[in-house]
Amino acid sequence: MTLAEVSKSFGDNLVLDRIDLEIDRGSAVVVAGPSGSGKSTMLRCINGLEAIDEGTIRFDGRAVHSTGREIYGIRAEIGMVFQQFNLFPHMTVLENITLAPLEVEHASKDEGRRRALRLLERVGIPEKADDSPADLSGGQQQRVAIARALAVEPKLMLFDEPTSALDPEMIREVLDVMRDLAREGMTMIVVTHEMGFAREVCDRIVFIDEGRIVEQGTPDEFFNQTRSDRAKEFVDKIIHH
Amino acid sequence: MSELWEVLSEHLPEFSSGLWVTFRLVAISFVIAMAVGILIAALRVAPVRWLNRIGGIYVETFRNVPLLVLLIIAFSGLPRAGVPVSQWVAGTACLGLYTAAYIAEALRSGVFAVGRGQIEAALSLGLSYPRTMRRIILPQAFRTVIPALGSLVIAMIKNSAIVGGSLVALPDLLKQTREVQADTFQTNEVFFWAAVGYLILTLTATLAFRYLEHRYAIRR
Repeated sequence: MTLAEVSKSFGDNLVLDRIDLEIDRGSAVVVAGPSGSGKSTMLRCINGLEAIDEGTIRFDGRAVHSTGREIYGIRAEIGMVFQQFNLFPHMTVLENITLAPLEVEHASKDEGRRRALRLLERVGIPEKADDSPADLSGGQQQRVAIARALAVEPKLMLFDEPTSALDPEMIREVLDVMRDLAREGMTMIVVTHEMGFAREVCDRIVFIDEGRIVEQGTPDEFFNQTRSDRAKEFVDKIIHH
Repeated sequence: MSELWEVLSEHLPEFSSGLWVTFRLVAISFVIAMAVGILIAALRVAPVRWLNRIGGIYVETFRNVPLLVLLIIAFSGLPRAGVPVSQWVAGTACLGLYTAAYIAEALRSGVFAVGRGQIEAALSLGLSYPRTMRRIILPQAFRTVIPALGSLVIAMIKNSAIVGGSLVALPDLLKQTREVQADTFQTNEVFFWAAVGYLILTLTATLAFRYLEHRYAIRR
């Protein structure tokens, strides 16, 4: 996954300013930064939910922002988990998970169901298969959302503040699932304010401010040998609050 | 009081055949209205400007011309222009196309009620835009607008009387009631039964839509 010189503005507001970023297969990267810094926008550009003005984003050698139908294939290889879960309320938990396998990969109903149940097992709520998303707690909903994103067997997972809308006691269960994923070697880009997770799980922290990558490094480098003033300020605030 | 029951039992064949015609008129018009309404709503929310425009022209035309005028054009005007139109075609087409404009608008509002996040979640799974429309947006839009559709169907049942009352003169409940009235001069009694007939249809529709609402409600 490579981003080269990627820029994007909303009107006069430059949200991404010549972003260069490379993410290796199997690595887990946390993107941190103050709100409004462009972290989420960057994530949404990576799977083409948001158009870019300049630069290129390549995934597995293919340009994400080329024209044509190729984007659908690329998106099926990139899973995304949203802050607001975005489960489909008119479907059961199981149907949420089997939708993409059935519609995109044309898997059989049995195969889809088997895969969904396996994934529910993996995120720890196999008994919720036939429930409606509205009957689940926030943490459970987010775990279903993770299972749904995993159902097409993506090569890359994007997490857009996956725990920001959760009650504190539910954050743990979602982070645990994400930690297991990282340990299994899933390539992940995680936008989060959970610095405990960043320190413990990720290989690299990318710090973004005002649309620019200000600093990046291993968690140890980032927390203990912070170079830029902006990142120092941020780390201070996060750690001493 | 006895006169009320008398007129009903004496003219039951007219009343029941009128009710049956009204029912069929409404049923066929409803199918037309839903099919055309979905199509027009899809045009209006499509990400292509000229398709939006076509949908918009349709809605503004059929919503802004009185149903009675549509009926006169279809049944009296078109034959004069060399296009023969039967009673049934004129009645069902006008009522159906007229109601379709309202259904399209209701569905459109339902589509806009589906959150951006829902669409993004579907796209992020690799679904194409048309598939997202079919599997995610429209099913939720339908569920959201069930109460509105119920009101439109009730309005359509009542509007159907215009078909029988106009020069199209389809032998529906209103037309039959007028014939009975001309026969008996018992205006209050016969129109009481006409009102009951329409109530049977509208209350059935109310219950049906209440069931649909209950059955398909989205809990968020």
